[in-house]
Formats: sequence, C-alpha cells, structure tokens
Amino acid sequence: METMGRYTLPVLALVVLAFVPMVVEASFTRHLFIIAFIYAIIASNWNLSLGHCGIFNFGHLTFFGVGSYTAAIAAKTYGVDPWVAILLGGPAAAVAAFLMAAPVARLKGIYVVLVTFAFGQLAMQLVLSQSDITGGAQGMVRIPYLRLGEYSFLKDYKLGYYYVALGLLVVSTIFIKLVIDSPFGKSLKAVRDSEEYAAARGVSVSRQRVMVLVLSAIFTGVAGGFYSIYLRVASPEVFGFGTLSLALSMVLIGGAGTIYGPIAAAIALTFATEALAGVRGLEEARFIVIAVAMILVLRLAPGGLLRLFEPLVPKALRQR
Amino acid sequence: MSRFLELQNISAGYGPITVLRGISLHLDAGECIGLFGPNGHGKTTLLKTISGLIKPSAGSITFNGTQIVGKKPPAIVNAGLVQSPQGNTLFGEMRIQEILELAAFTPRARPHRATNLEKVFALFPRLDERRSQRARTLSGGERQMLSIGCALRCEPALLMLDEPTLGLSPRLKEELAAAIGKISKTGVPLIVVEQDIEFLMELTNRLYLIEHGEVVREIDRASTPDHDEVMQLYFGEALH
Amino acid sequence: MIDTLIATLVSGLVLGSLYALMASGLSVVWTTLGVFNFSHGALMMVSAFVAWTVSEALGLGLLVGIAAGTLSAALVGIIIERLLVRPFYGDRNMLLITVMTTLAAMIILEKSALIIWGARLKQLPRLIEGEISIFGATISAHEALLVALAPLLLIAIWQFTVRSTVGRSLRAVGQNQESASLIGIDVSKAFAIAFGLSAALAGLTGALLGSIRFITPTMGSEPLVKAMIVVIFGGLGSLGATAGAAYVIGIIEALLILWLGLYWTPFALFLLMIVVLVFRPNGIFGGRE
Repeated sequence: METMGRYTLPVLALVVLAFVPMVVEASFTRHLFIIAFIYAIIASNWNLSLGHCGIFNFGHLTFFGVGSYTAAIAAKTYGVDPWVAILLGGPAAAVAAFLMAAPVARLKGIYVVLVTFAFGQLAMQLVLSQSDITGGAQGMVRIPYLRLGEYSFLKDYKLGYYYVALGLLVVSTIFIKLVIDSPFGKSLKAVRDSEEYAAARGVSVSRQRVMVLVLSAIFTGVAGGFYSIYLRVASPEVFGFGTLSLALSMVLIGGAGTIYGPIAAAIALTFATEALAGVRGLEEARFIVIAVAMILVLRLAPGGLLRLFEPLVPKALRQR
Repeated sequence: MSRFLELQNISAGYGPITVLRGISLHLDAGECIGLFGPNGHGKTTLLKTISGLIKPSAGSITFNGTQIVGKKPPAIVNAGLVQSPQGNTLFGEMRIQEILELAAFTPRARPHRATNLEKVFALFPRLDERRSQRARTLSGGERQMLSIGCALRCEPALLMLDEPTLGLSPRLKEELAAAIGKISKTGVPLIVVEQDIEFLMELTNRLYLIEHGEVVREIDRASTPDHDEVMQLYFGEALH
Repeated sequence: MIDTLIATLVSGLVLGSLYALMASGLSVVWTTLGVFNFSHGALMMVSAFVAWTVSEALGLGLLVGIAAGTLSAALVGIIIERLLVRPFYGDRNMLLITVMTTLAAMIILEKSALIIWGARLKQLPRLIEGEISIFGATISAHEALLVALAPLLLIAIWQFTVRSTVGRSLRAVGQNQESASLIGIDVSKAFAIAFGLSAALAGLTGALLGSIRFITPTMGSEPLVKAMIVVIFGGLGSLGATAGAAYVIGIIEALLILWLGLYWTPFALFLLMIVVLVFRPNGIFGGRE
C-alpha cells in the first residue's frame, strides 16, 4: 500500500500527460509541452548536483549545450543517424562534466560558483571561436530530423516528438530516483548536511562530487541532443545568462532537493512564460516576472513552492 | 530604589533552543559582581543578551534607569554598557593600533579618543610593544588584553568581562588580574564571568552561581565571608 | 616588432584598468559581507544608460551625466543590498542564496534597461578628445584617462579602508561582525556603505566605459565574466592581490589577442584559468579566502 501510494501521483500525472496529444491537437501547444519536458529534464538533473548534493554548480547548462552541439555536429556534419546523435549527447556531456569536476572537486564556496560558471563561458567561447565547425555566433541550422523507418517526425503536428520527449523525461526521472535511492544517493545527502561527518564516515567528498556531476550530465546531454534535433537548430544562446536563470528558477521554485518539484515547476513556468510572451508589451518583462518570482520564493518559501502545499499533498509527491 | 543595572526574568536562547530561563540579577553603582558556574550553562549567553547581540524572549533589562531590551548593540555600547568578548574573536587581519583606534567608535567615546589610547597602552605595555602587529599574531593572553583594551576605548560606564583569564598561564593570569584590579579601582563597575573563584572572590562584592540558565544562588561576600563554603558550593553543587 | 609589443602592452593596460576597477568593487563587497554580487556588471550598465540620458537626451553635459550615473548605480546597489541581500544574513545558505538573488537582480536590471532604453546602440561622447601616444603606441585620450584614473581610485579605496574610521569599520565588520558591534559599529550600516561604495565604483567605471564601448543592456556581462576570472586568479580576500591580478589578466589577454587572434583568446584565457586552479585552488595570489 505504502509503495502504491508513493507512486500514485507521478503515475497519474504520466497517464494524463500521455493522453494530452489526444486532446490537444494544436501544434504550438504540443511544442510548449515538448520544451517543458526538455526543461524538466535539465532542472531535475541540475537538482541532483545543486539540491541533493549541495554542489554550487552553475555550469549545468554547459552539459546541455555540449549535448546540443554534439548531436548537431554528428547528425549534420558527419551524417550520423539523428537517433544515435541524440544519444551521443549523453556521453559527450558526461565527459564535459568530468573535465569540469576535476578542478571543482577541490574547491570550496564561492570559487565553485565562479569556476563552474566560467566553465560554461569556456564552452561558449569554444563554440564561438570554432565557427567552421559550429557556425559561430550564427549557430547551426537545418539539422537532420528524426525518422522511424519511412515515418517522418515532421508529420502529425509533432506527435512523435511529443512522445519521444515524454519518454526521455520518464527515463531520466526513473534514473534520478534510482540514483537517489541507492546507497550512493544516501551518502550524497550525508555530505550535503555535514561534510565533516561524511568525511569521518569515510565518504570521499571529491570522488562523490565528480560522480554526481557526471551522472547529472548524462540525461541533460541527451536532452540537449534532442533539443537540437527537434528544433533543427543549435545556438550558443544555450550557454547564456537567460537560459541559466530560467532553469535555475525552475529548480528553486519547484524546490531544490525534491524529485518532482523541478519537473512540475518546469512545466508550469514554460507555459507561464509563454502566456506572458503573448501579452503585448510583456515580451521582455516576462523574464523580470520570473526573476521576481525566484526572489520571492527564496524569501518566503525557501524549500520551493511544492513544499508549501506539503500538508495538502499525500506522501507521494513529498519524496525527496 | 533604582539599580544601575537590573535584569528581571530574562529568558533567551538561539532559535528554538532556550538557554536562559528567567534570570534576575542586579548591580548597584560602585559594585562589582561575578558570574560563575559550569561551562555551557548560559553565562556568555547572558552577557550577549545584555549587550543586545541576542534578543531576549521575555523579561526586562534596565540600565541607568532606561529599558534597553530591543536596542541594538551600538546603542547599548553608546550608553556605556560595554562587553569585552573572549579574546580569540577579534579582527585578525588588522593591526593592534588600528583596532584600538577604531574601538573609540561611538559618539560617547570619540571625544576621549586621544587621551584614552595612552591609558590602554599604560595598562597593557605588551600591546604598546606590539602596536603594528596584526591581531592574529598575538598570544591568547595578548588577545585578551586587546579585547579589554577595546572595551576601555568605548568609555565604559559598566564593563562586562567574559572569562578574561581563560586558558592563560599563571604568570599572565596574574598580570591580567592586576590590570583588571586597576580598572576596578578607577571606579568602573564590573561584571566578570570567571571559572577562577579565588580571583572572583578577591575582585567582586557579590557572586551569582548560574546553572542550567538559572541563578541558583546569590552569594554576598559581606554575609558569606567563608571562602571554603563558597568553594564547596561550587565544586559540590555545580559539578555533578 | 617592438612597436607591436608596446601597443599590445598598452591595450593590455587599458583592459587591466577596467578589470581592476570592476574586480576591486567585487572585492569590497566580498570582504565586508561575504557576498558575491552577480549584478555588479549590470550596475555598470545602469550608470552608463543614466549618464547617456542625462548628458545626451537631457543635454546637461557629460560631467553631470557621469555624476548622475555613478549616483544612480550607488542607489540601485543600496536597494539591492536592502531587498535582496539583507533578508538572508545569517542564513546557513546565504552565499548560495545571494548568488541567486543577485543573478535575478542582474536579469531584472538588464531587461528593465531593454524596456526603458530600447535595443538601439548608444554611446557617450569622450570626456577628452584627441589621442595620446605612450612609447609610440597611440590610444585615445579618454582611454588614457581610464588608465590614469584606475590606480588613483584603487589607492583611494585602499587608503579609505586603511586610514579612515568608516573604512576600518568595514574591515572590522568583514572579519568579525559580533566583535564589531560590541565596539559600537552598526553592522547593517556598514553593509549598506560597502554595497553603495562598490556600486558607485561600478557606476563610475560604466559611465567612463560608455564612451569607449557601445551602451547596451548586456554591456556589463563581458566585464563581469572577466572580473570573475580576475578574482579566481587573485582571490577575493585582498584588494592588492585582486588589483594586481586584474592587470596581469589584462596584459595576458592583450598578448593572447596578438598571438592567437580575437577568437581564440577568451578560450585560452578560460583554459589557463582552469589549469591554474587545478594546481592553486585559491588562485595565484590568493593565499586564503
């Protein structure tokens, strides 16, 4: 009973999301869902390092960007099958995470913020400087799209992309849950809550940080790969302050350290920003609205909005 | 009858943890009092509460006839109620002279800026010798002297000393005790937190024994002159 | 060959001056409050726009404009401290939270500037016209002013923190808040002063930069990122090390541009930084935090 209760709500949410395309036929609304799923993967995986392990990682979008460009280059320049190209984003991002983790594992406090952040800038500068390969500031366009046999994913108002994105989100979420529930995941929490205690119990903090960063990069990179193949565009914008703060606000508003909070927040915020963009005069102001929301959540509900509803929500969503 | 300092039913703590449970004590003009008792039972918390660093959850503190609960530390220092914290916690990267010059910060202390610096150096010649050293290079005893020196620079009307001789060698202890005696002779009333009962007995008129955040006994030296009795009280009751 | 080298060094000096002004502002806030202000670059931008509005749109002259820009940046800085930093003092996660709130402040300022001033490029006239030749390398007189002003400002800040009572009180608060308040220093006032001072410095830098580069809502990002590299190299703890690192980075950047070209330089700079960090986790000059 207990286990059933724990999974009821997520499974219910999944069933609802699986039926959305039956009801929603507008291509644009489906597009928003797809973008929301991608952001949900980014935010929930970021939460693995930031929320669950307490690493001040501000380079998470780098993993997404590396995945995005890997898939774009593989599919367009080398003619790799787009399905494979998407998956290649995962290992590429994991390698990037490993490279970033090497200096970060030894640093403390604000220097972790600065270096992870600078690492993102490093990746962006590399993309900009290698314009022969990456298209530079213009980015890459007309990237090959997904096919399954003879079926083109450009058909049926993005129906195919919708289910691929949803599938990726489900697999990524199961992966995160497996990581958190494993003995390794439990040691993460110990380190976050008391580094000294964890060290005394023989947990190697450096190795753990490297592991978490690499694990959190895998699905973020795959999501990046999917993003390029889906939009058929790769742009250096993914490394910028804008994407960073949007994803960050999802983690914070949803609740750092929860599993489903960032996912719920990603879906809600994607639709909220899109709705705001529709209002004339608010095209730019929507980012201000999100920034203000982020500040208010930090001040008034530091555990994220989901926790505010904790007394109302059954145990299922409270899983941390 | 108005007291110079009077605490009534002060309760205070850190967040959900209550440390002080309804403490009442007082100090009259010209008096020195001592606080003693086992470690971790609220003596430092009490001083911090009087200084305004910790806001009491209940009770009142009047100083010189004014209510000071809710006032910020700078206002309390400016009223002349000054605390010398335990000396390991000063400004490590600053030089001794800089720190002492800075310590006459309040409007109350500013007019005496020039004169009382020399007084501090006269009282603690070791600080004079180390004027241009950084505070982190000082020994434990010298840090204690610096802490007391800073407090003196604030022109105290009432001075609170938090374990001034903690962890010092007997020779340094004597040096500090002598200096504190000199301060007391200038007419500044003192509240001294100490583990060393002998030292407290010599210096103060009355003692409060504090245990579990409460005043468990008040000892007036005039009515309880028996030194052994106090010692027995301390070791017999406090350390069980 | 020698001419090119001198020209490179001089342009490195211009960059170094800019980074030194940026990074020392970050350092003042860091050493007093333990907060890394991500909106520091945005404060620069606010000042440049205000300076443009006052001097160009209202026609009150460049000096009035620069003064107005500097003051407005200081004001915005103090507001940021009050609303976005102060509520989190004493919080266990203060460092991380304030990174996020000041990042949010940066977004708010940049997007507000875009809404208020629009995307069209703007530029301030130069404070001094003409060009100056240093050992055969020619730079604009305005850039030369920046180069000359930077060390003067740095010395002024340094003397302020070492000699003046207010400056000393900022250092005392940064080292031990409790002991500082026990000698009568108002800690929250010290925080506001540190933030205001740092923001004013960013403002002055921004207004001066508005004559050299284009004024855009995101003009502060690139200098902020460079200032971050500087503080990674020099540590945040001491003004001298931060300023020294700023000049070193400026000159390295200019040399890299000469050898590797404009495109490869940022990449090489970041790579160098990460390599350095692997061996010196506290920066090259930074002994301790």
